[in-house]
Amino acid sequence: MKRVVILGFAFLVLVIILGHAVNAHSQPKAVDPIIIGAPSAMGHPNVLSGWKALQMAAEEINAKGGILVGGVKRPIRLYMTDTRDAEPGIPVHDALLATEKLILERKPHAILLGPLRSEVLLSSMDLIAKYKVPFIASQSMVPLFQKKISDEYDKYKYCFRNSSNSIYLVMYLQGMMEFMKKEFGFNKVYIVVQDVLWAKGTGEVMQKWYKENGWEVVGFDSYATGATDFSPTLIKAGAQKAQVIMVQTDMPQAGILAKQAFDMKVPGLIVGQIVPVAAGNAWKTFGGALEGVIITQYEIGSPPAKAVPKSVDFVERFGKRWGEDAKNSMGALGTATAYDSLYILADAIERAGTLEPDALVRALEKTDMSGAVGRVRFDKTHQVVYGFDPKETAMECAFQWKKPGRRVVVFPEKIAEERIEVPLSMK
Amino acid sequence: MIRSVIVYGLVSSAVLALTAMGFSLTFGISGVANFAYGAFYILSGFLVWALLNYLKFPFVLAIVVTIGVVGGLGFVTYWSILLRVRGVVLSEVIATFALGVGILELFRWLGFVTYEFTLPSFIKGMVVIAGVPVDYQRLFIIGIALALVIFLYFFTHYTRIGLAFRGIAQNERTAISLGIKSDLTGALSLALGSAMASVAAIVILPLGIISINTGYEVLLIAVAVGIVGGLESVPGILVASLILGYAQVITGTYLKPEWMAVVYLAAIVLVLSIKPSGLFGKFKELEERV
Repeated sequence: MKRVVILGFAFLVLVIILGHAVNAHSQPKAVDPIIIGAPSAMGHPNVLSGWKALQMAAEEINAKGGILVGGVKRPIRLYMTDTRDAEPGIPVHDALLATEKLILERKPHAILLGPLRSEVLLSSMDLIAKYKVPFIASQSMVPLFQKKISDEYDKYKYCFRNSSNSIYLVMYLQGMMEFMKKEFGFNKVYIVVQDVLWAKGTGEVMQKWYKENGWEVVGFDSYATGATDFSPTLIKAGAQKAQVIMVQTDMPQAGILAKQAFDMKVPGLIVGQIVPVAAGNAWKTFGGALEGVIITQYEIGSPPAKAVPKSVDFVERFGKRWGEDAKNSMGALGTATAYDSLYILADAIERAGTLEPDALVRALEKTDMSGAVGRVRFDKTHQVVYGFDPKETAMECAFQWKKPGRRVVVFPEKIAEERIEVPLSMK
Repeated sequence: MIRSVIVYGLVSSAVLALTAMGFSLTFGISGVANFAYGAFYILSGFLVWALLNYLKFPFVLAIVVTIGVVGGLGFVTYWSILLRVRGVVLSEVIATFALGVGILELFRWLGFVTYEFTLPSFIKGMVVIAGVPVDYQRLFIIGIALALVIFLYFFTHYTRIGLAFRGIAQNERTAISLGIKSDLTGALSLALGSAMASVAAIVILPLGIISINTGYEVLLIAVAVGIVGGLESVPGILVASLILGYAQVITGTYLKPEWMAVVYLAAIVLVLSIKPSGLFGKFKELEERV
């Protein structure tokens, strides 16, 4: 009897040990997280918002058990690194070293966000090619990104971008100008840009377009980054009776331009990209001196467009997760797209059923989903297609500041919520 | 257009004068080029903002506290950092510049990089002068710049401390032999210069937003105006501000705005090659003649 008891006990212990061993062997991948790297310029407001949106998306996906990879749900783990590439004096190679350190230390399955500065993004593409990590950029707009992929597909095929680019920005500006010409008969424009490559390039392309499309360009000024007095331009724009003052700048001091135009009672309508006055809290910051200003926004989300319910839903959840202040200071570029980028990746992983980079690239190329910025599809150069219809493409928008601090989407027509209001002095 | 140029040239000149005066005052008295000046300017902006928004101070109280704190910081900077390197010009520059960079980059690290930081205007609204609309805040800038110049004149001519300042500035050894305390005067000059950076920030920043990089630009403006006018000369600062302010607006209006930034640098090169002590500078005048 004693022998039976001992044998029985030994059998029981054996069963328990074997059970644990089998269990441990069969489920290791269930607890292995999917590692996502997020290298970017964390000192920039746009990127800060984008990083928050990315974390929110990860939390949402993890709350549902994670991403399904080959029949097993695996949670997401995000690793951020600050490339500091938005700060003055930071060399490109420092930003690249930070990215490479992240890749080597964390061994990410994919990379999201990405650098802010064009030159850093373009240089990072070689790192991505070297380590073959699928990458969806959402913070930089340089068109050369696509050209590199188009020219050397096999090398750069791991790189994708779901935020807009400068070509689409110009397309929206042109659409906006055509709309205003048709609506109000405007044909006199004054161009003001920041003396940096993207803004000057945009200004020059638009200047050519204006001249070819029946507009009179009555002035073209560029200001050094950091300029704090824009009275020369505003004096001239007033004297030349410009109906539209088209502005392209992302420097913090550019807010002075809008406020100074308001103070100087310049009659023209300010239209364009003025990053400091684009956020939801800008009305309060500038004491209401923004009435009438029209901002062309790189993506919907800040502000949301009611015609794209997912954008409204995204902004509401962002506010609940990070608070009203974070919601109201949401960046002009790279917040809704950062959020979408993780869902794009998750969708591709589930369709591919693996984390193998080449299979993921093939799955990403076949992406066709609805995101916070509209319909998301990549073209042959791995750029998400932007257009004027949210059922067909991803969306930028233009909004106008109206009393008492509302950002109202006014363009494109398919998502416009109210008509553009022109200043009384121009009616 | 000419009337607009005259009015906004004056505004631009007042901004420059207000920005540069504290830097010039400190250098003129203690001989210390306070390269943390731009950082004190931005620190003042963020401090007022924090007092208004976090601690809900009344605006006037926030202004008074900020000027006091930043002035005090200037005083402490002298005793804690500059005293040890006093007289070694390069070390003074490195020490104050390092302090400035430290303060500015600390704000960047703390996340003061978004666009909601601004200070309220004193009075909202505008007035039309000779057909040119000007907002009240810009008129305040002109008024306060003038008031500061007048204050400085009376302070340095009719008060004991002000006379001590001038004594040290004219001849430090003789001043010491008459019982004037050199280090105390130097510390007070740094405190007063820092407080004036604070005043400039509180008056000018409501025009736009508080941006960390502005701290570096303020330093460049202060140095440029000081070099053109003569670093220790208040009349020199005024004249240099008028020259640079009008040169900028005229360049922007009749040539190209992108050349406005070149005006500072061109003026520095021109003055250094013709009269290195500045238009009204006296410190090196004798050496230049010899």
